[in-house]
Amino acid sequence: MTLRNPDREAVAHGHITNEPIRQKPGVPSWVLKLIMAVTGLLFALFVVGHMAGNLKLYLPAEGGDEALDEYGAFLRSMGEPLFPHEGALWIIRAVLLVAIIAHIYGAFALTARSKASRGKFRRSNLMGGLDSFATKSMLVTGIVLLLFIIFHLLDLTLGVQPIAPGDFAEGAVKANMIATFSRWPVTIVYVIAMCFLFLHLTHGIRLAASDLGITGAKWRQTFLILAYVIPAVVCIGNIVMPLSVALGLVS
Amino acid sequence: MKLTLEIWRQAGPTQEGHFETVQVDDASEQMSILELLDHVNEGYIERGEEPFAFASDCREGICGTCGLTVNGRPHGPGQNTPACQQRLFNFTDGQTIKLEPFRSAAYPVIKDMIVDRAALDHVMEQGGYVSMDAGTAPDADTLHVNHETSEYSLDHAACIGCGACVAACPNGAAHLFTGAKLVHLSLMPLGKEERGRRARNMVDDLEANFGHCSLYGECADVCPAGVPLTAVSAVTRERARAAFRGKDD
Amino acid sequence: MTNTELKREHPKFSHPQSIVPGVSAGNILESNEPHGVPMKDMWSHQKDHMQLVSPLNRRKFEVLVVGTGLSAGSAAAALGELGYKVKVFTYHDSPRRAHSIAAQGGVNASRAKKVDNDSAYRHTKDTVKGGDYRCRESDCWRLANESVRVIDHMNAIGAPFAREYGGTLATRSFGGVQVSRTYYTRGQTGQQLQLSTTSALYRQIGLGNVELFAHNDLQDIIVYNDNGKKRAGGIVTRNLITGELKAFTGHAVVLGTGGYGNVYHMSTLAKNSNASAMMRAYDSGAYLASPAFVQFHPTGLPVNSDWQSKTILMSESLRNDGRIWSPKKEGDDRDPNTIPEEERDYFLERRYPAFGNLVPRDVASRAISQQINAGLGVGPLHNSVYLDFRDAIERLGKDKIRERYSNLIEMYEEAIGESAYETPMRIAPTCHFTMGGLWTDFNEMTSIDGLFAAGECSWTYHGANRLGANSLLSASVDGWFTLPFTIPNYLADHLNEEKLAEDSPEAQATLAQSQERIDRLMGVRGENPHGPSYYHRQLGDILYHGCGVSRNVEDLKEAITKIRELREDFWANVRIPGEANDMNQVLEYGLRVADYLDLGELMCVDALDRDESCGAHFREDHLTEDGEAERDDENWCFVSAWEPGANKNEFIRHAEPLYFDSIPLMTRNYK
Repeated sequence: MTLRNPDREAVAHGHITNEPIRQKPGVPSWVLKLIMAVTGLLFALFVVGHMAGNLKLYLPAEGGDEALDEYGAFLRSMGEPLFPHEGALWIIRAVLLVAIIAHIYGAFALTARSKASRGKFRRSNLMGGLDSFATKSMLVTGIVLLLFIIFHLLDLTLGVQPIAPGDFAEGAVKANMIATFSRWPVTIVYVIAMCFLFLHLTHGIRLAASDLGITGAKWRQTFLILAYVIPAVVCIGNIVMPLSVALGLVS
Repeated sequence: MKLTLEIWRQAGPTQEGHFETVQVDDASEQMSILELLDHVNEGYIERGEEPFAFASDCREGICGTCGLTVNGRPHGPGQNTPACQQRLFNFTDGQTIKLEPFRSAAYPVIKDMIVDRAALDHVMEQGGYVSMDAGTAPDADTLHVNHETSEYSLDHAACIGCGACVAACPNGAAHLFTGAKLVHLSLMPLGKEERGRRARNMVDDLEANFGHCSLYGECADVCPAGVPLTAVSAVTRERARAAFRGKDD
Repeated sequence: MTNTELKREHPKFSHPQSIVPGVSAGNILESNEPHGVPMKDMWSHQKDHMQLVSPLNRRKFEVLVVGTGLSAGSAAAALGELGYKVKVFTYHDSPRRAHSIAAQGGVNASRAKKVDNDSAYRHTKDTVKGGDYRCRESDCWRLANESVRVIDHMNAIGAPFAREYGGTLATRSFGGVQVSRTYYTRGQTGQQLQLSTTSALYRQIGLGNVELFAHNDLQDIIVYNDNGKKRAGGIVTRNLITGELKAFTGHAVVLGTGGYGNVYHMSTLAKNSNASAMMRAYDSGAYLASPAFVQFHPTGLPVNSDWQSKTILMSESLRNDGRIWSPKKEGDDRDPNTIPEEERDYFLERRYPAFGNLVPRDVASRAISQQINAGLGVGPLHNSVYLDFRDAIERLGKDKIRERYSNLIEMYEEAIGESAYETPMRIAPTCHFTMGGLWTDFNEMTSIDGLFAAGECSWTYHGANRLGANSLLSASVDGWFTLPFTIPNYLADHLNEEKLAEDSPEAQATLAQSQERIDRLMGVRGENPHGPSYYHRQLGDILYHGCGVSRNVEDLKEAITKIRELREDFWANVRIPGEANDMNQVLEYGLRVADYLDLGELMCVDALDRDESCGAHFREDHLTEDGEAERDDENWCFVSAWEPGANKNEFIRHAEPLYFDSIPLMTRNYK
């Protein structure tokens, strides 16, 4: 007999083993999937809003204040007087922080499970194409985006040296942006990061629609289109800004 | 046609496997992959050597017994085609073909290219049925099902249970298999009655062995029964629905 | 009803003399139908008078079910639902794989909802008449009467039957029947019935009522002497993963192991379908009825090469637009498109002007086979005839033909490498269904007490020729609505009896016998060694020629001699590589071929013995003036049930006389 240490009970019933690959996990995969879908869509909404807000870079100054700086001030003061100054902003920041932690936990937990389920023989010879590539690289694009977010926060939110430009000043949003994008390497980092964002977002929206059970022909078609349109708009918007600064079109 | 075959040999579940190279000089374009293996095995048997073990049965694409990975792709290069219907005209003369078992940690190898897909049956045993005893059914004509729903249900019921979806999935997920059953039964007049209970039990069991769905779409591309890719989304949706409703139906 | 029907005063039966050396007449078998009841009411009368087992006592009984197809799977599920302890065995990896899954067309049911004037009577009549009066009428009434519940149940447990736009079930007409009573799910009705049944079985497995043993192949049946009667006490299986033999015992054994068409080597059956369970039962003393009754499907893909693994069925619907012909000249190897009209023989249209290309299966198969045997076959091996769409394409256009048959034409092109739009298709009759099988009484119990047989491995319903779409029905009726009544009726007599112990001398003796058989096969060391397929292929050729679509005395005699020689050769030279105590597919196959050789011999003996033509059993020496099958109801209106004789090459023919109440004997006519 070629079985070593056989699970005799299973073998008698014609199977190799009765042992499942994993015991019941604390958070089921379907819950993790839902969390990732919801938090992911939240981030999608966030980046759309973020980009739309930043487009004020191109609006003319009114009454001496830059439009973008005014927008920055609005973000701090919004919700007042219901919330204290910067209250609403901090609530949003807290929500985003929790969401990103949950999203990252979900990603790593699910990846570990799928690695165990797949086993040692990886799948080769995939179909290929943009969707397939985006799917395959989700973890990589996700990690790159995480690093980019940290970089971006240090650069334009916290103003930590040496990442932020030397003359960083809190509240001077437009000036800070122009200062940071006047450095070519930083501009390139932002442009590359946006390409990663496109890949992550296009697959993420498609996947979230699927996980949320959107299977009706019309809604599904709508989401398949949105999965390209939203990332494209966000990324083009976000790439145009640093490039136009770097090329000296905005000053 | 001339072909070089690299065929998987593995003595048992815990032994290491390896590829064995075989030259075939007289293959015919109309041969299926399985007939090619038959042909190779015939030579081994006539020489008194042990042939390659592989599973197959109906050879008409309906039983779901056969399951080989051909050049890294479950069942072979043809879309939505079982191994028994994959014919050699899809390959070129002189090509090398790599034949190995379905790959998934949930499918332990029994011998050579035969794997144990019991984990799929186990998912079914948890709820892939309608709880109705023989003889107790009401008149089928009084339970109306509209034409379209019936056909849509059949699209999902058509799953042949070969398990290629799992082997095709880089995550080792069985969402197409499980989702197909959830959709099929949730559309049937009496299957609806335990829709929530079924989703809870099947999906919880599913997660013990299989990975999650990343929507690679590979499963629907290889599925010999052509189960639509939307079936995968039934898994999370139906499970969440059951959790939020907290009821059996 | 008349008095004669009630009294059933039948003429005294006497065994006709056999022309086969070694055949002796045995007993007259008792069908165990109720007496004094018209045939149409027998089943309900029987059920009313059966014994019952109370729910609390059911767990005390253990039933072993072999197979997981439509008949065995449903019997196991239904018995599990009732509360019996059930063990179910399959050589597959999963219960869903059984070959019922491959049936395409549909399932008959005389629900008679439409106003096309269908009824249980008409269904019974079509079944009996279709079977050429070599089946039990009472069985056929049960088939028709229970058919209603089959559809309801299958629908309830998940089979998505085709629906009309109004939401009710759709039907189609099928196989030369004048009413529309065939329910279907596209071209995969068998799959949906099989999977629904499997799901019911899964449910019982999940609930712990049924224990499934996959990858367990039956080797033998444990039969012991119980007060002078043979009684089944269990089975011996071989674990296909480890090669280990094990005895399982129970209070009753059910075989639902399918048909034996693979004896022909080339058939439409799955590669693993086999006759071993049936032959082991036969060797243990269960009578084997009418093994020569085999249905050939007229529109199979011909065998083109020696590597081809099986024949594939092309839907009969092709005959709606395709015209079947062969050249008039022997050995005409010209390109068919260059053969002029006057040199073509549209033989079906010529011989059967009323039905033409749409005559029933057996008639079409026979006519095609006669052309081929007369040397008029076409193709590289001269083993097929043309099915030509030329005229249909001219009349309807290529698009219309593509719309109707594109999937079939594509399948043909992939398998044969020719386009049916350009050159005529080639088709040949191929073995498809076996009507013969283990003889069972009205309760579906074989001649061994406690051994039941259901589905294609038993002989019931189909007589000498099966009606289209009746096979799924018969398997479902057996498993869902017959055995769950008759098995408890049998078990009730054995309440509080212990089952045979697994280590009892009887069980161990059978285990040893199985081991011996395997050792014998593994131990053959001949001078001219070959694998099992070498012998199987030859057996198939012998049978297609000698005991195929049409039979004659000389060929049958020759076939018997050849098979005996082949069997000698097999047991002297067959070589099985590998080990017995490991997964060994060649050993599995070798054991099956050993059984096929015995079965092939018995089929030829039965075919030679039955000195008449009936249904699919077409004897060239029993023809009417215009060349049609001629039944001999005077002498042969009975079913032959075979038992091995005391010596080699000896056989005992038992007989169950057949009587017909409401469907008088008449001759089929499709002219």
